Amino acid sequence: MLRFALTLLLFTLAFGVLSSSPVFSDLILAKVDRRIDLTSQIVRITTSLKVENAGSNPISEILLSFPENQAKHLAYLTATLNEGKGKGKASSGAGLPTEVVIPKDVPDSLTFYSLSLPKGLGKGESLLLDVLAVFTHALEPFPEKISQADIQLLLFQDTAHFLSPYKVMVQSLAVKLPEARVESYTKLEGTKLSGSELKYGPFHNIPPFSYLPIIIHFENNQPFAVAEELVREIEISHWGNVQVTEHYNLFHGGAKSKGEFSRLDYQARPYVRGASAFRRLVARLPPRAHSVYYRDEIGNISTSSLWGDSKKTELEIEPRYPLFGGWRTAFTIGYGLPLRDFLFESDGKRFLNFSFGSPINELVIDTLIVKVVLPEGSKDISASVPFPVKQWQETKFSHLDLVGRPVVVLEKNNVVPEHNEHFQVYYKFNSLSMLREPLMLIFGFFFLFVACIVYMHADLSISKSSASYLAKVQWEEVQATVQQIHNIISHCLTAHDKLEASLRDLSRTGDVQACKATRKSVDSLLKGVSKDLKPLVTFLQSSPQAAHILPKVEELIAKERDLQERLMAKHTTVVDCYEKKLGGREIENRIASNQQKITSLRQEVDDLMDFIDEI
Amino acid sequence: MAPKAITSPVPDSLYPTLSVLTLAIGLVLTASFFIYEATTSRKTRSLAQELTTGAVASVFLGFGSLFLLIACGVYV
Repeated sequence: MLRFALTLLLFTLAFGVLSSSPVFSDLILAKVDRRIDLTSQIVRITTSLKVENAGSNPISEILLSFPENQAKHLAYLTATLNEGKGKGKASSGAGLPTEVVIPKDVPDSLTFYSLSLPKGLGKGESLLLDVLAVFTHALEPFPEKISQADIQLLLFQDTAHFLSPYKVMVQSLAVKLPEARVESYTKLEGTKLSGSELKYGPFHNIPPFSYLPIIIHFENNQPFAVAEELVREIEISHWGNVQVTEHYNLFHGGAKSKGEFSRLDYQARPYVRGASAFRRLVARLPPRAHSVYYRDEIGNISTSSLWGDSKKTELEIEPRYPLFGGWRTAFTIGYGLPLRDFLFESDGKRFLNFSFGSPINELVIDTLIVKVVLPEGSKDISASVPFPVKQWQETKFSHLDLVGRPVVVLEKNNVVPEHNEHFQVYYKFNSLSMLREPLMLIFGFFFLFVACIVYMHADLSISKSSASYLAKVQWEEVQATVQQIHNIISHCLTAHDKLEASLRDLSRTGDVQACKATRKSVDSLLKGVSKDLKPLVTFLQSSPQAAHILPKVEELIAKERDLQERLMAKHTTVVDCYEKKLGGREIENRIASNQQKITSLRQEVDDLMDFIDEI
Repeated sequence: MAPKAITSPVPDSLYPTLSVLTLAIGLVLTASFFIYEATTSRKTRSLAQELTTGAVASVFLGFGSLFLLIACGVYV
């Protein structure tokens, strides 16, 4: 690493002496302030540039350069225009579009990024830029292996001069270190270490492509949680839920642990024996997350806690063992979210608006795979992600699926928490397709009913002439006949009830004509009944199977006829009495004996009907 | 046009109540279907009534089991 830095330095100094490319000499960086944040495992370099156009043509793009070995650790790069005057005003607006370019006449081992300005920088104008570059795995543990009692020391290499294709007038560098020991750092002139902040510079009139290597060797005990692979599955159900399942494969990315692990030492004095290990991870889930679970291959892990408010739900998980350098763990986190927070509709298309990265704080992910599972029947699927990813589509078979659900898979390498922006997945879905699922269940149940009907209707007997089969057929016929008789008798009984009701109406309204009309209709009905009953009774008399119920049926018919006659007699008497305008007491006397018989007969008829019903 | 949030057709809190109701009605209809099968003889049975009772019962049972699945957290 040091040799590389030295060769690069010599090369760039030689390059700077030999040629000065006309393209690059147009812009001058009047003031550059760099702040390197080394407080966590992710290195964040914030650069504020004041760019001046010293040439005669308007400039529409600015180049940023990184040495190749630093560029391969670059995870996130964003540049914004700083509209405000002076420090303290945050830069607003979206980032400028950046892309990798390979300009001519440049040293080989540099990677260039080009920022496109929305409106060009005219002659003599200047503007302020804020560039944030995030690097992963940029801190090298040195020594590479430590024992439980050693402290974790890391090496960070960078350049004190801002490496740029343009000339820099004034620049300064401030490095923020964690609140711990600084083992050593490169001392240039004017370097100051105050507390945990290391200041280099200010440097004046530095030529382009100037590289002055510095090395800082310091202690950092922040959790070095690195996920080797993270698979996030986001399943949408239009019945009201978004289910997120995340499979983590974590390891500790710092200095590897060697020697024994003493649990006793670790528990007794965790800050002395095992300061670099981490025990807990905190995840920020969206608000209104429910049904949160945390498990691994063995089963549920109960060392976790969850609390939420209206802005977020915080999940703190503690793996089954503390993670020392090089140790690995794998687990799964799952949670459900309400649909209305994430699924929207506009212009006939539905889209899911969801966050891309992992909810765990300060987690570096080497490979992130996001799978969005859309409901069956989704068409015209497209995804829009604010940074470049690899996408393809798959199919997943889940509950009540016929052809499978379409899955949009997005893959990205080297993901940092800055990537936790929202992405959208657009698709078209016909609301009627939601009915497919209950229809499947309905057909399933209906199939059972049809099977039952078929079974009852099917005649599965092998021999159609055996004695038992014939006996069964005859018995069914008898049953049918008895049921028909039963139905007819119940019709008669309802007719009797109508007669009684008409008598009650008569006593209430005094309308004799209506009463007489009712009696006539009931009379004709009952005459028809007796005609219907005749063939049924003859059939019963002829069949041998009906021997034991025939007497009961005949008794029932006889009793019913008796009841009928008595009721008609009573009805006639009452109507006559009314026509003659006799008093209530008279009527009661005349029908008293009849009435008694009627009630007892009715009771017997009802008993017989119940008996017949039960055979 | 501002995006409109999509919600489920039935409010989430109603799913358990709906599932109990529809399953109860469906089971009552299933019971009446089986009682009809058991008490009528071959001659007096009517295929139309059997099929209608079965169809209506299966509709209620289908929706009831769907709401039951959703209320238990299996968002199908």
